[in-house]
Amino acid sequence: MTALANAIKRKTHKERSQPAARQKFGLLEKHKDYVERAKNFHKKEKVLKTLKRKAEERNPDEFYFAMEKKRTKDGVHDGRLTQANKYSQDDLRLMKSQDVKYLSMKATTDGKKAERLQESLHFIGATCGSGIAPAPPAKKQRTGAAAAASGAGAATDASLPRHRHTVFVDSEAEAQRFDPAQYFDTPAELLDRTFNRPRKEQLADRRAVQGSASKSVEKRKYAAYKELAQRQERRGKVAAVAERLAYEKLLMGKGRKRKLGAKELAKAGVEPGEGPSAKVFVWKRERKR
Amino acid sequence: MGFGDRGGGRGGRGGGRGFGGRDGGRGGGRGFGGRDGGRGGGRGGGRGFAPRGGVAKGGRGFGGRGGGRGGGRGGMKGGAKAVIEAHRHDGVFIARGKEDALVTKNLVPGVSVYGEKRIAIENDGDKVEYRVWNPFRSKLAASILAGVDNIYVKPGSKLLYLGAASGTSVSHCSDLVGPEGAVYAVEFSHRSGRDLVNMAKQRPNVIPIIEDARHPQKYRMLVPMVDVIFADVAQPDQARIVGHNAQYFLKNGGNFVISIKASCIDSTAPPEAVFAREVKKLQEMQLKPKEQVTLEPYERDHAMVVGVYRAPAKK
Repeated sequence: MTALANAIKRKTHKERSQPAARQKFGLLEKHKDYVERAKNFHKKEKVLKTLKRKAEERNPDEFYFAMEKKRTKDGVHDGRLTQANKYSQDDLRLMKSQDVKYLSMKATTDGKKAERLQESLHFIGATCGSGIAPAPPAKKQRTGAAAAASGAGAATDASLPRHRHTVFVDSEAEAQRFDPAQYFDTPAELLDRTFNRPRKEQLADRRAVQGSASKSVEKRKYAAYKELAQRQERRGKVAAVAERLAYEKLLMGKGRKRKLGAKELAKAGVEPGEGPSAKVFVWKRERKR
Repeated sequence: MGFGDRGGGRGGRGGGRGFGGRDGGRGGGRGFGGRDGGRGGGRGGGRGFAPRGGVAKGGRGFGGRGGGRGGGRGGMKGGAKAVIEAHRHDGVFIARGKEDALVTKNLVPGVSVYGEKRIAIENDGDKVEYRVWNPFRSKLAASILAGVDNIYVKPGSKLLYLGAASGTSVSHCSDLVGPEGAVYAVEFSHRSGRDLVNMAKQRPNVIPIIEDARHPQKYRMLVPMVDVIFADVAQPDQARIVGHNAQYFLKNGGNFVISIKASCIDSTAPPEAVFAREVKKLQEMQLKPKEQVTLEPYERDHAMVVGVYRAPAKK
């Protein structure tokens, strides 16, 4: 093109971008990108095809020169499948430390996320259904706790520990007369709703009891609790693995050590575990600089 | 979103040249990623190079391929669809939705005190903001969920808060008492007192006092007669501390709310016995307990005791 043609201002053509609605698919693929992707795909496809054909056409009776050197050991082909001592002890130790770091990082991430979730997930309703018990005054040497032990009710969640609510009254007679619904000034059917027992006058004019939240709200709540439980569980598992690896790494390190026997374990008060965690070592005390 | 440190130095140039040759306008190399060539370097202009799919931000946001800035994090804001339920205690609410949380109405909208979540609810045009009150951190919140009959901290009341620490729970108490009430927050430690003072700067109803709660005479000039004393001091002699403060500042017939941590008072005795012993000590200080709740599942071996000081005799 001539210099003059270059000097004329032409329309600048801009690349089309991914529409906002399809943003989740990433950047918009252009033909150039497609060609590259397709080439890569076909290359792999070809390799697979060739390998498959070779496998199909393989002749088990065919002679290979490599066969001349091969031996059998106790009637079994002695092929070296793995390369022994490929990595030195130090190399392995380094790898292990990287594994440990990665795992503990993952455990921390999950822990933090669970913590963040729990900040706004308060297990409301977990305290439901615990018993209320009136207690005679402590003057009479009868502690409230003893009287409250009868606290029973519909177990909403057995995994969570139960709490105990004691009400102190002035006399034994009053304890006999005690009526929780009257004391809490709430309808008897709401007594189990520990987290929020609206007063009777509140029930009249406030949206105090919203038992039936919308379905979508319930759904979101359920999903949030599920995520919390999963994160906490995974955190625990990953942390346990990281700990085990860290211990293995220590075992690979310096220092004289020996494994503790069952008797010694019992003496030290360590429960004999199972699997890899069963091995407990004790290091020899050495003066370090 | 520091774009300076990734994506190579040369991206982001380009488009500015207007009518350059075709390649000139395409922006520089992208610095990382396998695909070279001038693509994706952005059309010049401010944002320039962006992480290409899969790197760092997952290829959302401001793409190098024009389309402007996709806007950082997507998704709805925290409490877009929360439902608020009124509570037995004034000033306390329960938020349902993605959250399942105890909340208080924020006295200072737009401000989080300790990084807690805020939930904005639109009610016929006017916006109300709530702050999440975590019962795993605050014993008062835990006792509310445990179903205590009365916390006595209500709009307009004057509260003496012993053991305020960094003022996380204090800030919620300040939400509860509202602009008409006042919270006198006593904390001995200078370090957490600093956070407390900073919090109080934004909340006119909080009066921070950095003193030892064992010596109420030191801050007697700052605190008037109060309606409620809340104590979370976790000291072996906490009953005495509360009794002493009640003598100075609690009006007759006023109320107290005390959190008892069994292991802080006697770590060898069973918690129930410790609570009973503390309740007895309180009675000796004319603090008559009305009820006691343990704080499971939020705290272990903790109890909240509420009651009344020098109650008028029953007829």
